[in-house]
Amino acid sequence: MSGIRNLIGLVYEGVKDNRLLWLLIIGFALFPIITHFADLPFWNDVAMRIMLLGMAAMGLNLVLGYGGMVSFGHAAFIGIGAYCAGISQFYGITNGWVHLGFSIITCGFAGLVIGYLALRTSGIYFIMITLAFAQMLFFLFVSLEAFGGDDGMSIDRAEFGFIDLYDPLRLYFLIWIALVVVGMGLMFIVRSRFGVTLRAIKSNASRVEAMGLSPLRFKIVGYVISAVVCGIAGTLFASWQEYVSPDIMHWTRSGELMIIIILGGLGTLAGPLLGAIVFLLLEECLPLLLGAAAPAYAENWMILFGPLLIMVVMFGRGGLIGLLSQLQVRRNARSDHRGP
Amino acid sequence: MTLTLILEQTFNGLQAGVTLFLVAAGLTLILGIMDVVFLAHGAQVMIGAYAAAAVAAATGNFYIGLFLAIPVTFASGYVLEFLLIRHLYRRDHMEQVLATFGLILFFNELIRIGFGPAALYSDLPRSLSGFVEILPGAPYPIYRLWVILVGLACAIGIHIFVSRTRIGAMVRAGANNPEMTAALGINIKILFRFIFAVGACFAGVAGMMLGPITAVQPGMGEPLLILSLVVIIIGGVGSVRGAFIAAIIVGLIDTLGRVFLPAMLRSVVDQATADGAGPAVASMLVYITMAVVLIFRPTGLFPAKG
Repeated sequence: MSGIRNLIGLVYEGVKDNRLLWLLIIGFALFPIITHFADLPFWNDVAMRIMLLGMAAMGLNLVLGYGGMVSFGHAAFIGIGAYCAGISQFYGITNGWVHLGFSIITCGFAGLVIGYLALRTSGIYFIMITLAFAQMLFFLFVSLEAFGGDDGMSIDRAEFGFIDLYDPLRLYFLIWIALVVVGMGLMFIVRSRFGVTLRAIKSNASRVEAMGLSPLRFKIVGYVISAVVCGIAGTLFASWQEYVSPDIMHWTRSGELMIIIILGGLGTLAGPLLGAIVFLLLEECLPLLLGAAAPAYAENWMILFGPLLIMVVMFGRGGLIGLLSQLQVRRNARSDHRGP
Repeated sequence: MTLTLILEQTFNGLQAGVTLFLVAAGLTLILGIMDVVFLAHGAQVMIGAYAAAAVAAATGNFYIGLFLAIPVTFASGYVLEFLLIRHLYRRDHMEQVLATFGLILFFNELIRIGFGPAALYSDLPRSLSGFVEILPGAPYPIYRLWVILVGLACAIGIHIFVSRTRIGAMVRAGANNPEMTAALGINIKILFRFIFAVGACFAGVAGMMLGPITAVQPGMGEPLLILSLVVIIIGGVGSVRGAFIAAIIVGLIDTLGRVFLPAMLRSVVDQATADGAGPAVASMLVYITMAVVLIFRPTGLFPAKG
């Protein structure tokens, strides 16, 4: 019994320290109510995309933000996850749990191999070798004619036992539950001894080594975990999209994931999710805004988006989370000034 | 698999290699000396190609297009460094990736607005179209041969510049140890801007020469960018000599692999497997080469930093 009580205590502590993350996740649970009454079912789709990309970004953040490893190839794991669903469906295996298991094993293995090889390098070389592995897999799937090659293939949604994914709300909540599980898992990992070591390696690897721990081993484990999280997101993505193509693992998607993390806040739990919300809302709203201002150029919204990204990098240190905490500090300072 | 085919494909590989080198030469210095992960180098290729195609279409003369595109790309590199890149020197790699990723989106969209999303095609002047026999019975397009020659000339020019001139010595010193170079009284800011503009210029030259061979369209520089990053990593960041050797290797492997690998596999495994796996392995070959090089030599074949 005390074990369970301890666990509940740990969850409580974790949730208390990461209020923003869980507020956002609860917000996603309530969101379908709003779209139902406002009669905007399209926005459920946007929310699902946000949750999936946010989940993948959270996985990447373990490596990028906490471990300080700039992986420019994590879209590959999303792709592997998606193709695990696609290839299983192709061979008539429709059970979604099998897809997920298949994806976890494959992505874990791919993460182990790529991580083991890539982590021998550092700096620019690490960025480029992760990109190279992602490109390798991209071209592999482009040339696999049996699975649609360049054009990809349409697939049915997976079957999750009693959960019928053709009911949009059930699909929504399946993705939501995955988000809760990933959020909870990453929260524990970050707060565990492993997570602390990973952060220590980021700030000073040789000191960690001097303490008798092998940084490489910790980095590889971190890399594998983040690969698996991206794989899960990819598998669900395939079911949501009912379609898999190499496009899902294009190198620009790796860039997108990094943008999402930076935008939200590097090395924070809530950051990637917040970043995904803002990123995808911008993607939806910029064309509308531009369309209202200059209808002829509605399609060219990237002309604003590109400079916006540059601004975020140049001026938005710490991302949105950094901005929020600055506001918090300022507000606290003001109330201190006024006195009790 | 005749000798003619092998010869022809080797020349194609050389042509791809020298084009890659033109893109990689500047980028390897930008990565090595300034330590900036500059992903928008592909956009310089695109700017060069569009400038050449647009001027050629307006004046009706291919050579004027080529000639005028050089100052355009030089200026674009110079202005870009002044406006944005110099603020990125002290930032970490991830921020550089993102900012230059934003630049890619911006430039692609700018070109799309200016020239439309469709590809531009440019005609070759009569003096460069047609074939020449490189061996009796082995015709080869004059234009591609011309590209190889121009690329080799540029490579020799860059080599002489880097290894024989005073500025070249500064560049090498900068690649080896930027802080020490600055401490010796060399104006590293001006040097950086100059290297950046010249690098952009060579990327632009690659773009304008590719124009008549491939489609000139938004985003055309990106495949070239990724391949030139591979070249730089194989050659060793900051080493122009390494970039040249790696570019030729990558160009040859990529071209010859695509043509001959499926056939070679067919002699080892059965036809169906070979037809399926051949193209897959061929398109991965370059990246496999890079991974193998990095695993055995984590800083590339010719590391510039001692």
